[in-house]
Amino acid sequence: MSTDVSTPSSAPTPEPAEPSATKVARRILPSPVTGQEWVLVAIVVALWIVLSIATPAFGSASSWQPLLSSVAPIALMGVGMTMIIITGGIDVSVGGALMVAGVTTAKLLVDQGVSLPVAVVAAAVLGLVLGLVNGFLIAYGRVHAIIITFGTANLFQFVGRQIFASQTVNGIPGTLDFFGRGEAGRTLGLPHSFVLTLLVAVGAWIWLRHNRSGRHLYAIGGDPTAARLAGIQVQRLTLMTYAATGLLVGIAAVFTVASGTSTLDQTIGSGRELAVIAAVVIGGTSITGGRGSVLGTVLGALLVQIVASGVTQLGWPSQLSDFFVGVAIAIAVGADLIRQRARQQR
Amino acid sequence: MVEARLELHDISKRYGGVRAIRHADLTVEPGTVHAIVGENGAGKSTLIKIIAGAESADTGTMAFEGAPMHLTSTQDALGYGIQTVYQEPQLFAELTVSENIFVGREMVKGGRVDWPAQHVRVLELLDLLGLPARYATRAVGDLSIAEQQQVSIAKALAGNAKVLILDEPSAILTDSEIEVLFGVVRRLTDSGVSVIYISHRLDELFRICHEVTVMRDGETIGTWLIDDLTVRKVVELMVGGAIEDHPETRTTSDAEPRLVLEQLAAAGHFSDVSVSVRPGEIVGLYGLIGSGVAEIAEVVYGMRHATGGRILLEGKPINPRHPRDAQKLGIALLPANRKAQGMFAFQPIAFNISVSHLPLLSKAKIWMDRRRETAVARDMIQRLSIKTPSEQQPISAMSGGNAQKVVLARQLVERPQVLVLAEPTQGVDVGAKEEIHRIIRALAAEGTAVLVATSDLSEALRISDRLHIVRSGTTTREFAPGASQADVLAAAAGADEEVPA
Repeated sequence: MSTDVSTPSSAPTPEPAEPSATKVARRILPSPVTGQEWVLVAIVVALWIVLSIATPAFGSASSWQPLLSSVAPIALMGVGMTMIIITGGIDVSVGGALMVAGVTTAKLLVDQGVSLPVAVVAAAVLGLVLGLVNGFLIAYGRVHAIIITFGTANLFQFVGRQIFASQTVNGIPGTLDFFGRGEAGRTLGLPHSFVLTLLVAVGAWIWLRHNRSGRHLYAIGGDPTAARLAGIQVQRLTLMTYAATGLLVGIAAVFTVASGTSTLDQTIGSGRELAVIAAVVIGGTSITGGRGSVLGTVLGALLVQIVASGVTQLGWPSQLSDFFVGVAIAIAVGADLIRQRARQQR
Repeated sequence: MVEARLELHDISKRYGGVRAIRHADLTVEPGTVHAIVGENGAGKSTLIKIIAGAESADTGTMAFEGAPMHLTSTQDALGYGIQTVYQEPQLFAELTVSENIFVGREMVKGGRVDWPAQHVRVLELLDLLGLPARYATRAVGDLSIAEQQQVSIAKALAGNAKVLILDEPSAILTDSEIEVLFGVVRRLTDSGVSVIYISHRLDELFRICHEVTVMRDGETIGTWLIDDLTVRKVVELMVGGAIEDHPETRTTSDAEPRLVLEQLAAAGHFSDVSVSVRPGEIVGLYGLIGSGVAEIAEVVYGMRHATGGRILLEGKPINPRHPRDAQKLGIALLPANRKAQGMFAFQPIAFNISVSHLPLLSKAKIWMDRRRETAVARDMIQRLSIKTPSEQQPISAMSGGNAQKVVLARQLVERPQVLVLAEPTQGVDVGAKEEIHRIIRALAAEGTAVLVATSDLSEALRISDRLHIVRSGTTTREFAPGASQADVLAAAAGADEEVPA
């Protein structure tokens, strides 16, 4: 019987001191950055360098500041979507929800002249309510997530258009400039929306990695029946992931309105669900559930926006960016499939 | 005298019209290994589920260490320290071994999972099971099935087990892994844990168990000390006074074999399977669940690919890569899992019969000839005595036996050269079973070569002209008609070498 001398055995030895306990923790947890995430870091850095050389304008602050602003809403919604997809679900209604929250915020600003905090809270609460609708139907109605959210996506779009009433909302005041693209929206050159998104992402990353409920999301995605038998509150946690996503969509709507012009048109949110899901999948979260991380999603969102921005600045046709994103998704899904096949061969 | 750890008295359980358990008594002493044995369908699994809290008994009482015990959920059972390791590991592939062991009951410190504390406990458990410490941080999906099984046991032990139920733990383990398992079981019993051990490999019982309870037809017929038994005796108790009936011996041709399997192998499932079937002959392949019988049938039909050996049809080697290839060669299969592999549940009977024969039942191979489809369906309903008001009835509305006849009918529209049946009467009632056997015999009489893969012993004996035993994925012995149930079961359970008492 081989016993590892360096590890404390069942003998009543005194508890190891704090520093060595954290050392143990580092060794007993899987590595914090997965292989796919290192690959993404490398690609993002490489693209950044290549694009900076190819088009000197790309490296300038006036180029990467709007880039980070545009990453913020995608990555923020991606944080919620990552949690949903880890549990084996999906939410294709985030685009519709973004429209409802966005147009409501714009109307509140124009008609009521509300302040920034009120606008943020209103958008977040509205998003939360929409997320709860999805979550209740999926967790307790037990219908497949893609069907339900496809239905609510259409419903949300209808509601959004009703609130618009006309084609556009005009004369949006500068109340949200703190999250906007201008000088007021930056500290030390970094857009506030991006910084806030990073803070949320770091919190979610820690929660998913170290909190009991966070770990349970992975168990639910792995095998929901076994998860229930293990005493995990599958329905409550499922509801929670959709509610959290809705709340984040509400804040993403504030970012979207803030970074736009004084006119909001009906294209807000359109197709955003696909950009978010693309970021999550490229980030290495398995679409079949049970595996993934928020870090990958943020990197995925960065990659997608760098490609879009790079294609524009190189003067290439903009549809090429769709092509590159498509290839990236195919590679990410392919890598996941190969991993799963390799396991089944055992 | 110490109180019994677990006591069951007069337990019974029905599922709809089926009496899974008629009457069961069981007393498990502390610190012992108690085996429950019986044929497939004797009621072992149901009894286990009742003890594990996954099912509740209709009648009877249970007591734990002398006090009455009522279980309404698996959580209740866990509360008593009753831990179950199921045959299929209930694990999460993407989580680490350590996380799997503690999932649902994590140690928490300051809002975070207390990884170091869990790790210490996990290392103890891995050491107990003889697994290397580095496995603690491996994802369970990266381990072999055998290792996953050991993780399941570790998970059960982490919950402070007083009764550990092992359901067929050895079915997927190699000999050296079984040694490790036995070592663990002995250490557990030494520390007072009671182990309930389910296994089809009867020879194992004599190495690890103290007491044996035998079940037959939903009843516990008694409990014996292992020292008072032999493998032979156990088999006789399992089979009991069941009628050793044999059908009229059928005269079979001595023509050249139509289907020959030569040392056929499929990696991970079976190897070195050699069988031949003549036209008009019914050859049985009998093996316990997990022995590989069902997979043999799937290879012949092209659903799985052979990794060794040959299949000969009329003397010529064939290599069906897809069910369509097999169909073209005149091979038909009645699949083992009719719900998943055989039925289009919401479609009518006529559709379910015609679906494999659309070119034959269509005009100019373009559009369906509804009248011929109806005619064929009605003819089949009559020939196979399928009980239904009309051929437009959806198959999902039918009983198991009738649904199985419809799936069988599909294979008979174009009379097959070779018919392979996997578990043809699983989950069908006695009357329908009899009729399906009649249909199989009638087909053989018309010249079809029939191969029946089954884990139902009485069926294997009743239907086969010749019977091969499949054990651990290999054909071991061949029996002629008239073999006794006890001989066949003993051979399948691994008591070949034992001299009959």
